[in-house]
Amino acid sequence: MPGSGWEDFAFEGIGTRWEISTLQPLDSALRTRLLSLVERFDADWSRFRADSRVSAMAKDPGRYDFPAEAGPLGQLYRTLYEATGGAMTPLIGPSLERLGYDAGYSLRSSGSALPAPAWDDVLEWAGSTLTTAAPVVLDIGAAGKGLLVDLVAAELKAGGMEAFIVDASGDLLAKGPDPVPVALEHPYNPTQAIGVVQLAGRALCASAANRRAWGDGLHHILDGKTGRPVRTAVATWALADTTMLADALATALFFVPGARLQQTFDFSWLTVFSDGSAAHSAEFEGTLFT
Amino acid sequence: MRPSVRKSVYAGIAGLSLAGTVAACAPSAGDSSPAPAAPGSSATGSTPSSGASTPAGSGSDYKDGTYSADGTYVSPNGTETVGVELTLASGTVTDVQITQHPSNPNTRKFQGEFAGGIAGQVVGKSIDELNVSKVAGSSLTSGGFNQAVEQIKSEAR
Repeated sequence: MPGSGWEDFAFEGIGTRWEISTLQPLDSALRTRLLSLVERFDADWSRFRADSRVSAMAKDPGRYDFPAEAGPLGQLYRTLYEATGGAMTPLIGPSLERLGYDAGYSLRSSGSALPAPAWDDVLEWAGSTLTTAAPVVLDIGAAGKGLLVDLVAAELKAGGMEAFIVDASGDLLAKGPDPVPVALEHPYNPTQAIGVVQLAGRALCASAANRRAWGDGLHHILDGKTGRPVRTAVATWALADTTMLADALATALFFVPGARLQQTFDFSWLTVFSDGSAAHSAEFEGTLFT
Repeated sequence: MRPSVRKSVYAGIAGLSLAGTVAACAPSAGDSSPAPAAPGSSATGSTPSSGASTPAGSGSDYKDGTYSADGTYVSPNGTETVGVELTLASGTVTDVQITQHPSNPNTRKFQGEFAGGIAGQVVGKSIDELNVSKVAGSSLTSGGFNQAVEQIKSEAR
């Protein structure tokens, strides 16, 4: 999709579509290594697979050794946990499962949402070793896809690739000499963009609250009590050096204003609200259409 | 090209086998405070808001009226509720209103905290007309809308 000169390698992984674009073609050995990496990651971290390590943690407390990527992931989650007052946690599983978003996709609520357990009550995350005091459902959904993008990028580099774009359904990492123009999708209209970012050597991730088919006009979202449009975040973008960080912060922007997150993290951000207004950090200046 | 509400209503209505056009799409940008959904019960039909008359459309499976139902979706911020209000006339959807209840405490907190540094309304341009390589967009979807429409479908019979 990036255009002429790029070779695309597309596949399905961790429940989403991936597209890797390179200037040199990927040989079959490298393709095989990439696919096994994605499969290995899924087998370690997916809570939708009965055979995953995460599924084992949901059954029995104990000590679990994860691959090396668990180290930076745990640090990031801990920082976010503190920056969001506990709102962002890797222990959100039980609530989601009770609401029907479980491994079997039952889509039927099995009761009201349960609050996530306090981190320090049930989990010790030291480097890549997780020790649990109770059965916990670990959910790394807010950063996992971005983390895998970074691992895929490392594999590409190890395979001699200098210029590439990894696109995990909208979570993007671009490496190479030339900036890649990326459209920022309109939250309510997938055929439209609200701006364009030149992505060079960094990651751009997006998050959104609403099914975008709900309406074209941002004014459709009304406060039932006042009849006026509410202003709540409906779409966010984060630019950062790693995709893991950009992915997690795009979600964190739903909990904490970007200006406050900037005090803790080195990144750039854009938030679009349900009334159609936008707020952003300096790097997004000039990227939005006016 | 204007997908939007029209598109979403068609998508929802296709399953309802309510063929027809959407007459009223949405308030224009200048419109403020359209009538909120009827308070109280969800997914219960209320009397048509204007000139009740016998349904002219023969073979219509659905009674005229304004119907509302709530659906839920999970945002990164937690579970949110969305209200869907459909106006049916002669088996045709003539209006759709989406109401978001700021039910999630995190959302309420966030709304209260943000002030200043806000740009004007975002402006959309067709992606087809842009010279871009990639699109960064939302990856989260929800069945909230369809869930509410399904409820209305059963109520309006």
